[in-house]
Amino acid sequence: MTLNNLLISNFRLHKNTELNFSDELNYFIGGNGQGKTTILEAIYYLCTTKNLNQNSDTEAVSFGEKEFSLFGKFNELIEYKTRIQFDIESNKKNFFINEKQVTRSASIIGKFPVVSLTPLDHAITQGSPADRRKFVDSIISQLSPAYLEILLEYNKILRQRSALLFQIRERKEKSLIDQLEAWTEILLNNGTEIVKHRMIFAEEFNKIIRENYLKISDQNEIPSLEYNFLNSVSDDDIKKNFNDKLDEYYDDEIIRAQNLVGPHRDEFIFYLNQKELKKYGSQGQHKTFQIALRFSQFFYMFQVIGKKPIFLMDDIFGDLDKNRVKKIGEYLKIVGQAFITLTDLNNNNNIFKSSNDKIIFVNNGHVHYA
Amino acid sequence: MILPEPLEILIEELNKLPSIGRKTAQRLALHLLKSQKEDISNLVNSLISMRDNIKICSKCFNVSVDDECEICKSPKRDNSVICVVEEVSDVIAIEKTNEFNGLYHVLGGVLSPLSGKDAASLKIDELVKRVSNSNIKEIILALNPDTEGESTALYLAKILKRFNIKITRIARGLPIGGDIEFADEATIGRAVLGRIILE
Ligand SMILES: [Zn+2]
Repeated sequence: MTLNNLLISNFRLHKNTELNFSDELNYFIGGNGQGKTTILEAIYYLCTTKNLNQNSDTEAVSFGEKEFSLFGKFNELIEYKTRIQFDIESNKKNFFINEKQVTRSASIIGKFPVVSLTPLDHAITQGSPADRRKFVDSIISQLSPAYLEILLEYNKILRQRSALLFQIRERKEKSLIDQLEAWTEILLNNGTEIVKHRMIFAEEFNKIIRENYLKISDQNEIPSLEYNFLNSVSDDDIKKNFNDKLDEYYDDEIIRAQNLVGPHRDEFIFYLNQKELKKYGSQGQHKTFQIALRFSQFFYMFQVIGKKPIFLMDDIFGDLDKNRVKKIGEYLKIVGQAFITLTDLNNNNNIFKSSNDKIIFVNNGHVHYA
Repeated sequence: MILPEPLEILIEELNKLPSIGRKTAQRLALHLLKSQKEDISNLVNSLISMRDNIKICSKCFNVSVDDECEICKSPKRDNSVICVVEEVSDVIAIEKTNEFNGLYHVLGGVLSPLSGKDAASLKIDELVKRVSNSNIKEIILALNPDTEGESTALYLAKILKRFNIKITRIARGLPIGGDIEFADEATIGRAVLGRIILE
């Protein structure tokens, strides 16, 4: 899977930018605020319909304009022309593949697999459990469109069920209690499906992160990921334990009018040499871990779908020592197509791969090739 | 440009209708502006006649000219089977298939605690009454395959259990008539996850 051509209109600083890419490494060089991250943002939109840094769509429209549009040509045996358009007034995003509109987000996400490594990744190891769930969900969703749909449904069930718990707290009617039983059953069914996917993911990912961490770190440290759902070991366990826990928290859930049990409260814990990273990790260990997670995501997705995702790397070399930069440079030789932003070239001479690489200078929303 | 007031009012009224956006409303209004006066009268009269003459069937809550609808009155229909649907539009859709010969029950929506739709605001008591007063053998739950439809189906199955009748749900999954390879990934994925055991 490669992105060969990109047309950006009225998107932040880029009024009208056309880009042709290398199948291998593409470097965007420019100072801060010149529009190089914007190009990664545009690519991410085309792959996922979502914003790379969780900014609002409206914010991405150039100042004084009404809509942005992005047009990309992907190649995967055949050419896919993709187009995304966002209009401020209607606050609607429209997505087209080969000029046919696609409405179901689950049928877009994962079609053009993508991995992004950005400064915001610090939240994956240093942020809240929700940040880690988001990291895991974004990977599984790209691999399983059904998972994404189940997840969206699950979130809806949570909202409905907490509204119902609130009503039951106010008035304990038989009919409401019966309804709760129905919502609990759906919560149980959807939630179990989510946990099953997460368990498979955690098991596989654990193997992959071990290999990848060692390629980036100079220390002989062993990383791992722990995921545990109510001590379940088999598929049958999950539903039973989930059900038992719901029974146990039945009164509490009503008193607090909250969903207290389920995968929306899951925690993924990272370890280095069996010590919890979040509690004991140094800044350097966190940074290395974050990079290893994204490379692991890349190889995990490659293993599952058999095609290399597009790799986006935003400003990652800035605070790394020479040795680490060199190791990542080595690594870049085996990923497929990547898009990398840099503030300057001088310090990063040793990361180039081949004469096929493209160096593109970005200056105030305009581009020129080296 | 500011439109003449009568035109603006018409556009506003059309815009209130479901799935009619501002642009479509404007196109319809401009089209009507060019129509013959007679055509306009026919349209207006049909709207008023519909409002005056269409009632809701007292038994199944389908649309009807009389107190009971054509389906409920028909001697050819099997009155031991009731198909429960959300809206009148679902009755129309199922009737078109010519596959169902029983009666209907229009709930008027689905359970949704978030939007304040509870059992009392749907025709659920009426359904229970119908089941207890007649010789119903089967209830088919034909609700949409979303979370609200599913929870409503589970709720109905629960409260109808005591009547000892057959309760079925219409199947969800792959659309028929298309090959698996042409269905979208999410649909196929869900169908695989929701697979059933063949004894
Ligand atoms: Zn009727």
